[in-house]
Amino acid sequence: MKVRGMWTGLLVFFLVCLLAVPSFAQRGVTKDTIKLGLILVKTGPVAALGIPNGNGMVDYMQYLNDQGGVAGRKIEVIWEDDQFEAPKSVAALKKLITRDNVLTVITTGGSQQTIANLENINQYKVPNIPNALMKEFYDPFQPYIFAMGATYEAQYDCIVDYIFNDLKEKNPRIGVVYEKKEYGIKGLEEIKKRAKAYGVDLVSELVLPTGAVDASSQVLGLMNDKVDYVVTCLLLPPTITFLKTAEKYNYWPKNVFGFNWAADDMIVKACGEAAKNFIGVNFVGAWWDESPGIKLARQIAQKYNRTDISLTSLYINGIGVSWLFGEAFKRAGKDLTPDTLKAALETFKGYSTGGVLPPVTYTTKSHEPPEMVKFFKADVANKRLVALTDWRKPKEMK
Amino acid sequence: MQLFASGIAVGCLYALIALGFVLIIKATDILNFAHGEIIMISSLICYFLMAKYHFSFLPAVLITVVVAAFMGVLTERLVLRPMLGEPIFAVVMITIGLSIFLRSLAGITFGHDNYVFPSPFPKEPINLAGITLSMTQIWVMISTAILVVFFFIFFKYSRMGLAMRGTADDQETALLMGISTKRVFALVWGIAFVTAAIAGISLANVMVVNIGLTFVAISAFPAIILGGLESIPGAIIGGLAIGVIENLAGGYLDQVIGGGVKDVTPFVVLFLILMIKPYGLFGKEEIERV
Amino acid sequence: MASSEKRRLKGSKVVIRSKTFRESYYEDIKLFQTIWIRIWISLFLILLATLPIWGNPYVIYLINLSCIAVVAALGLNLLIGYTGQISLGHAAFIAIGAYTTAILSSKVGLPFWVCLLASGGVAATVGCGLGIPCLRLKGLYLAMATMAFGVVVDFVVITWGKLTGGIRGINVAKVAIFGFPLDSDNKIYYFLLVCTILTILAIKNLVRTRVGRAFIAIRDRDIAAEIMGVDITAYKVMAFTISSFFAGIAGGMYSYTMGYIHPEHFTLLLSVQYLAMIIVGGLGTILGSIFGAVFIVLVPELIKAISRFSALLIPALKGKYDEEWNIAAFGLLIMIFLIFEAGGLYGIWGRIKTSFKNWPYTY
Repeated sequence: MKVRGMWTGLLVFFLVCLLAVPSFAQRGVTKDTIKLGLILVKTGPVAALGIPNGNGMVDYMQYLNDQGGVAGRKIEVIWEDDQFEAPKSVAALKKLITRDNVLTVITTGGSQQTIANLENINQYKVPNIPNALMKEFYDPFQPYIFAMGATYEAQYDCIVDYIFNDLKEKNPRIGVVYEKKEYGIKGLEEIKKRAKAYGVDLVSELVLPTGAVDASSQVLGLMNDKVDYVVTCLLLPPTITFLKTAEKYNYWPKNVFGFNWAADDMIVKACGEAAKNFIGVNFVGAWWDESPGIKLARQIAQKYNRTDISLTSLYINGIGVSWLFGEAFKRAGKDLTPDTLKAALETFKGYSTGGVLPPVTYTTKSHEPPEMVKFFKADVANKRLVALTDWRKPKEMK
Repeated sequence: MQLFASGIAVGCLYALIALGFVLIIKATDILNFAHGEIIMISSLICYFLMAKYHFSFLPAVLITVVVAAFMGVLTERLVLRPMLGEPIFAVVMITIGLSIFLRSLAGITFGHDNYVFPSPFPKEPINLAGITLSMTQIWVMISTAILVVFFFIFFKYSRMGLAMRGTADDQETALLMGISTKRVFALVWGIAFVTAAIAGISLANVMVVNIGLTFVAISAFPAIILGGLESIPGAIIGGLAIGVIENLAGGYLDQVIGGGVKDVTPFVVLFLILMIKPYGLFGKEEIERV
Repeated sequence: MASSEKRRLKGSKVVIRSKTFRESYYEDIKLFQTIWIRIWISLFLILLATLPIWGNPYVIYLINLSCIAVVAALGLNLLIGYTGQISLGHAAFIAIGAYTTAILSSKVGLPFWVCLLASGGVAATVGCGLGIPCLRLKGLYLAMATMAFGVVVDFVVITWGKLTGGIRGINVAKVAIFGFPLDSDNKIYYFLLVCTILTILAIKNLVRTRVGRAFIAIRDRDIAAEIMGVDITAYKVMAFTISSFFAGIAGGMYSYTMGYIHPEHFTLLLSVQYLAMIIVGGLGTILGSIFGAVFIVLVPELIKAISRFSALLIPALKGKYDEEWNIAAFGLLIMIFLIFEAGGLYGIWGRIKTSFKNWPYTY
C-alpha cells in the first residue's frame, strides 16, 4: 500500500513538473522584467568554450540591472545547457519559448545547434546572435539571426593578406595545420584560394586531430617542407600542443597564425617562449586593451568577482553580445516584443561598443557581421596578447 | 627514424593507460569505463596540488598516488561490492554511470578551464644519434618500464599476484580455497587506480590539463586489444605498437589519403588483427565448456 | 509477458490471482495474452494519440526523440540482449541510416517510405558485412572491433564529402506523406509513433519465432546450440543484420525529425548511451528497452526540471545552482538503479507489478 501510494505520488509529481504550461500575456516581458533565454554549452567536454562566454553575457545584463535596468525593467537570464548536442539544443529552445516564455534567446549555441534550430527560430520569432562564425548564417538572409563576428573565411583572408601586404612577402612558403572540423576544412579551402589569388600555392597541408597527444609528425612534416609561415585552424588546446611540440624540435617558423578560437591570452600563458612568434586574429578586442569598452569589461568582471576567467577573449565576446542586445532593448523602448526587438537591432549603424567588437551595422536586408578583425601578437614577458593592428577587413581582390 | 622513436614515446603513454585497465580486466573481468575519468582526475589533483598549494613535484605525485589508491578501494567497497555475483553487464553499466558521475564531479570541483601543468622537466630535448626526445618522454618511458617489470614479477611470483589470477579465473573456487576475494579486489582496484594516476600525471606533462583528458583513454583502446586483454606484456607491446603505427601513418600516409588517417589507422589495424587473432596478439584463448 | 487469470473461489467474493492457464494453442501464441494487457495498452495509446492537443511542444519534442531512441534501442537489444553479441558501433549504423535518408530525400527526392526502408536496407547490408568478420570474436574483443568499425564509419562520412556533405552536414527536406507535408512537431509525432509501434510489434513477433529462440540459444550457450543444430553463423549474422536494419530506420526517423544531420551527432558516446538504455532498462526484454530508451532521453530533462523547481522553492539553493549537479545526479541515479536492481527498470517494473498483484500480501 505504501509502495503504491509512493509510486503514484511520484508519478503525479513528475507529470506536473513536465507538463505544466504557464501562460503569459506578452511574451517574456512584463511591466518590470524582461526574461531572456541563453543556450550555451555549460557541461561536457567543450564546456570551456561556453562558460566564459555565457558568464560575459550574464554579467553584462546584471550590470545593466545595476544601472537601473532598461526602460524601467530588470533583466532576467535563463541559461540552458545543451552540452553541444543538437537535439538538446532544440529541446532547450522549445523549453525556453514554450515553458519559460522568454522574450528571446540571445544566443542559440554553436553553428550546428543553430542550424538545427533554424526552423524553430523562424517559427517562434527568436532574434538571436548565434555563437558561430559561418557565412551561412547571413547569406542567405535569415530574418532573426544576427551574425556575430568575422567569419572564418574573412579571418583567413586577412591572415593571408597580412603575409603578403604587411610582411611584404613575395613567395612565402605557407603550411596549414588544421582539424577535421568545419572551421578546419573551410579554413584550409579559404587559405588555399586566397594564396592562389596572390599567385602562391600551399607548400603543406596537415591534419592535427583534436585530441592529439603529440604533434611530432606534423611538426616534422612542416620542418621537412621548410615552411616559413604556419597557419593553424585549430582550437586552443591543439594549438598549445602544436606550439610546444614545435619548440621541442626547435622549429621556429617566422610566424604561426591562429584564428579567433586560439587567439587568447591563454596561449601565451600556456606556451610561454614557445608562443613568441604567434600571431592571432580575433573579432573581439583583447583583454588588456585600453579601449573604453574593454576597460568596462574588466570592471564588470572585477565587480562580479570573476577572478578566474581562463579564456578572456570569450568573456569579452559574451559582453559584446549582451551589449548589443542591451542597446537594442533601449532602442525598442517600452513596447518590447520580438518584432520590435528585431527592428531595433536593424537600426544599428556603425554602432560602437568601445573596442569590444568592431562597429556594428545591421539593416533590414542584411544581418552581416562587421567582417573585421584585429591582429594580436604574443607578449611573452607579460603573458598576454597585444594588439598589432587596428580593425581591418579583407582586401578587395580583383 | 625520428617518427619511430616518438612513436615509442607516445606508445608508452598509451601503454600506461592500458595497464590499469587490463589489470582490472585480468582480475575481475570488468570493463572499467571510468578509467579515463580516473586518469583525468588524478592529473587535475596533481596540478592543483602543485599550482594552488605549491607542493613540489615529487610530494605532489606521492599524494596523488595515495589519493588514487584510496579512491580505488572506496570505489570497490561502495560500488562494486554490492554487485558481486550480478551479471557482468550490470557491473559494466555501473562503471559507465560512475564515469558520468565522476566527470561532472570533476567539472564542479575543478572547473572546465585548461590548465598548464608546471612541468618539472627541463624543456631542452636530448639528442641521441639524431633522434630528439624530450626529458618528459624519457621519464614516461622509464616509469612505464619500471611498472611493467614490477607488475610482471608481482603477478608471476608473488602470493598476492597468484591470488589475483586465481580469483579472476573463478571467483567461487578461489573463495573455497581460502583466498579473501574482498581483499584481492580492494587491492586490484587500488593498484589499477594508482597506475591510472601515474598515467594521468604523465599525460599532464605532455598535454594541456583539462576535463577532455578522459577521451584520450579511448585512443588507448586499440592498444589494449592489440595486446590481448588478458596479458600485461601484451598491453605494453600493444601500446608501443599503436604509438608507432600512429606516428608512421601520420608521417607517411597523411600525404596520400586525405588527412586524418593518423586517427583511423590504429582502429583499422586493430580490426584486421582481430580478424586474424580473435584474442589479440597475446591474449589467452578462452576455453569454454558447455 | 506472462500474466494471470482470475480465479474465483467457490462461494467467496475474494478474487485471488493465480498461475496462467492456457487452454489452447491459440491462447499460447497470442501476442498480448490477457484482456487486461490489451485494455491497458489501448488506454495508453489513446493517451498518446491525444497528447498533441493538451501537451506542451517541449514535451512532444522529447517524446519524438524517445521514439527514435526506442526503435534503435530495440534493435540493439536484439543483438545484445537476445543474441549476446556486444556492439559499440550502433551509432555508426544509425548514422548510415540517417545519411541514406538524408541523401535520398534531399538529393533524389524519393518518398518517405522508400527512404526509410532504404535506410534500413543499407544499414542492414553494412551490418551483415560487419557480422561476418566478427563471427569469431567474443565479449570485449567484439566490443572493441565494433568500436573500431564505428570510428572508421565516422572517418568515411567526414572524408567522403561529395556524398555526405562532410562536415557541413546535410539539410533534410521535410517529409511528405501522400502529399501532406509533416511540417510541425505534432505531425512528425504521429509519424514517429506509428513507426515505433510497428517496430515494437515486429520485434515482439520476431522474438517468439524460431529465429528469436535461436538468438537466445546463442546467447546462453552457443556451443551447446551449435551441437543441437542451430546454425550459429547464419543466426549471428542475421542478428547483426536485423539490429542494423532497425538502427538504420531509427536513423532515418532522426533525419526527418531534426531536419539537419552532421557527423558529430553520431559519436561513440551515442553508442554508449544506447548501451546504457538497454542495460538500465533491462537486458533481453522488449519492455525493458522501451523503458530504458525513454529513461535516458527524458530523465536528464526531468532532473533539470526538478532541480529548477526545487531551486525556486528553496531560495537558499538559488545562487549556488550549478548545472553539473544534474549530470552528476544522472550518473548517480544510474548507479543506484543498478545496484538496487540488477535487472534494470524492467526488474523494478516486475516488482511493482507483483506488489500490485499480490496485494494485500506483500510477497
